Amino acid sequence: MASNAPAIEVSGLAKNFGRTAALSGLDLRVETGQVAGFLGPNGSGKSTTIRILLGLLKADGGTARMLGADPWQDAVALHRRVAYVPGEVNLWPNLTGGQAISILSKLHGEVDERRRAELLDLFDLDPTKKARSYSKGNRQKVALVAALSSRAELLLLDEPTSGLDPLMEQVFTSCIREAAAQGRSVLLSSHIFAEVEKLCETVTIIRDGRTVESGRLAELRHLQRTQVTVEVAGNPAELAGVPGIEELQLSGATASFSVDPDLLPGVLAALAAHSPRNLVSAPPSLEDLFLRHYSEDPALPVSARGGER
Amino acid sequence: MSTGTARRRTPAEHAQRHAAAARGTGTLTGVGTAALFILRRNWLRLAIWALVLASMIPVVYDSQQQAFPTQAARDAYAQVANTPAVAAMTGLPYAAGSLGGILVIKIWMTLAVALAFAVVFLVTRNGRADEEAGRTELLRSTALGRHAYPSANYLVSAALCLATGLLISLLCLSVELPATGSWVMGASIAGTGLAFIGLAAICGQLASTSRGANSLGVALIGLFYFIRAAADLQAEGVNPSAASWFSPIGWAQNMRAFGEDNWWPLLALASLGLAGCLLALRLESTRDLRAGLLPERRGPAAAGSFTTTALGLALRLQRSSLIGWFLGAAVSGLFFGSVAQAMSSLLDPENPFARNFVGTGHSMLDGVLGIFVLFNALLAGAFAIQCLGAARSEEESGRLEQQLAGSLARGTWLGAHLLIAVLGSGVILLLGGYLTGAASQGSAAPALLAGACLAFWPAVLSLLGLQLLAFGYVPRFTTAIAWAAYGISVMAAMFGGLFSLSEDVIRATPFGAIPRMPAEDFSWAPLAVLLLISLVLGAAGMGRFNRRDVLAN
Repeated sequence: MASNAPAIEVSGLAKNFGRTAALSGLDLRVETGQVAGFLGPNGSGKSTTIRILLGLLKADGGTARMLGADPWQDAVALHRRVAYVPGEVNLWPNLTGGQAISILSKLHGEVDERRRAELLDLFDLDPTKKARSYSKGNRQKVALVAALSSRAELLLLDEPTSGLDPLMEQVFTSCIREAAAQGRSVLLSSHIFAEVEKLCETVTIIRDGRTVESGRLAELRHLQRTQVTVEVAGNPAELAGVPGIEELQLSGATASFSVDPDLLPGVLAALAAHSPRNLVSAPPSLEDLFLRHYSEDPALPVSARGGER
Repeated sequence: MSTGTARRRTPAEHAQRHAAAARGTGTLTGVGTAALFILRRNWLRLAIWALVLASMIPVVYDSQQQAFPTQAARDAYAQVANTPAVAAMTGLPYAAGSLGGILVIKIWMTLAVALAFAVVFLVTRNGRADEEAGRTELLRSTALGRHAYPSANYLVSAALCLATGLLISLLCLSVELPATGSWVMGASIAGTGLAFIGLAAICGQLASTSRGANSLGVALIGLFYFIRAAADLQAEGVNPSAASWFSPIGWAQNMRAFGEDNWWPLLALASLGLAGCLLALRLESTRDLRAGLLPERRGPAAAGSFTTTALGLALRLQRSSLIGWFLGAAVSGLFFGSVAQAMSSLLDPENPFARNFVGTGHSMLDGVLGIFVLFNALLAGAFAIQCLGAARSEEESGRLEQQLAGSLARGTWLGAHLLIAVLGSGVILLLGGYLTGAASQGSAAPALLAGACLAFWPAVLSLLGLQLLAFGYVPRFTTAIAWAAYGISVMAAMFGGLFSLSEDVIRATPFGAIPRMPAEDFSWAPLAVLLLISLVLGAAGMGRFNRRDVLAN
């Protein structure tokens, strides 16, 4: 870890392809040793951002720093300290998976041979097969093994699990946890909320090439309301007057509503008086947060758009 | 599958059709439907193969009639036709004193081998390739007999052979060649195709990938071609050697169209085809869908340290292509050398066509050698463009992105690909030139011709320079621009005179600018100018590539 500079520091990043603006004012910050989630729908600019960080695309505006250096000017030197897994892995059809791993991992600097053997075993990948015969998942494993067997300080992962089965996803999760425990920084672009919630401390949500939300996951959650469904002995309509209960919906003896987390103690006390028989409380999920930013009209409350779990 | 039915079928009608199909329960149920389906997917491909191959007959016949207008000219040709090079390349010449015989010498082998390639690709395309892609699985889940689809595949390929043969025979008859010979001509070419359907069918059972099946099939064509070449070289006079019976191409040759007109080898060819198809169907019953009888080849579990370098990887990716081009340059060099003498004595110096083609050089022999030097340069140019084109396909496929995400400088990566194109084209020029000289039986010194070829290096480099410029500024059009520039240069250098282009215009194209030794005198100026152009274009392209976005599709 060379310096105290953040692993990634991007502000006001802009990139145009012809007349379409892929990025227009994107901010992203990943501290050293942090696992950061990077969420956004297709075409929102996640891959473009990562490609700019890799010096493959030249930014049209804003600033980007990676490991304290300029991603365009210092690309080659930086890439010895960085490993990358693309969402769509393309391999040389007549080389074996093992050969591709050697080629890619050597390009990411020093290779840990013991780790490579371990990872091949963990991901259950046969390195002697020609890449032509690999499925999408197996091609992705090649890129993952190459990236994880390097000693890179920063891992840039662009939807790295889109072709993996749940078992392999679990292997991936534990590998990333291990990398984080070693003090490496990770940028994980993903569609899978559960994965990001499991792994990431911070999350940046982008839309149309712009950052719309970012911060520590715990704090972002705090901004959201808890969703409660309760079945009571008495008339649930009486709950309407309780301070803190909003968006109340009734169905027989069952009531669903949302609560501001700060007002939860008072609401629970009031509920107790109605002899609840069954109570389900769902913490605000990342999915709610995400959907809030992507639904047509951001002004609508989350629950009205089916964010309930 | 129905062609051009305007209205949609109701579900009830569908069920009826299915019930009708299900009435058959044999392994061949549905073979007719399958054949129609294959025809529908391939009709254009089939039509192009048949028409292009058959149309060679009138084209070649016309040119030969002009080259040998009188019986005296044909008799003179017959005296010199039987050279080892002709015997090895196009088959043992016989009946060279007749137009039919000359037609066989000039085009029979090309047509027969081309049809063999056509059926190998066709059988694989509708067989192993479909199976590999999972389409066969889908078809087999319907009421289609196990052998229906492959049988239909073999039948359609056989139909291509018969149609091509028939067209060839009819075109031979249309130019009033002898009737029996015309029919044997078509039948012997169709027969070659039929035999290779059987062989290709077996290849499709052995390999588990379409690439593997095609490689096996092409290897068999090569093997049988070389067996018959060796046999034809051993032949005494115009009588075929017994060794030619070890190759189905040899069987077809021994039908001797416009010569003895033997019919019976056709039976052997058709039998080989039928036996191959039956064996393939049998083998198919013994294996699982998608499996091949040959185990899939495994490779090393890790790359050697050289392969992980930019140059090492580029070389590894180009390995088979490089070997192919070098072999091609060697074979064509040997061929050119061995026919140079004979060709120059045959060409009439008073013929304006020949003059235009060979140029106004020192002598006819030097003119012919100059043409061969140019051919070799064109070969080197095509190699160079294809070789550097690999750089663009690495970018297009997204594989470049993964390499540049590692600690690899853009210049190093592009430099590695460029180096192989530059040095590889130099090797082709030297190799082709040297072997032309070595095989010329003393007509020209090998070192001299190697030098004459190498003089074309700056022409090749200038095309590479243009390709680099395109790669830097308009990457999406790199391939199109490079090949268009190559095509225009080739046309200008080879046929510029015939199209009455002025000398100045021809001299302004890469291949036209270089003095064509030994027919012309050497001068440094055009080489230096082309070299300078190459450097400027190349440097501009490379510089731009270092500054532009890397774009995958």
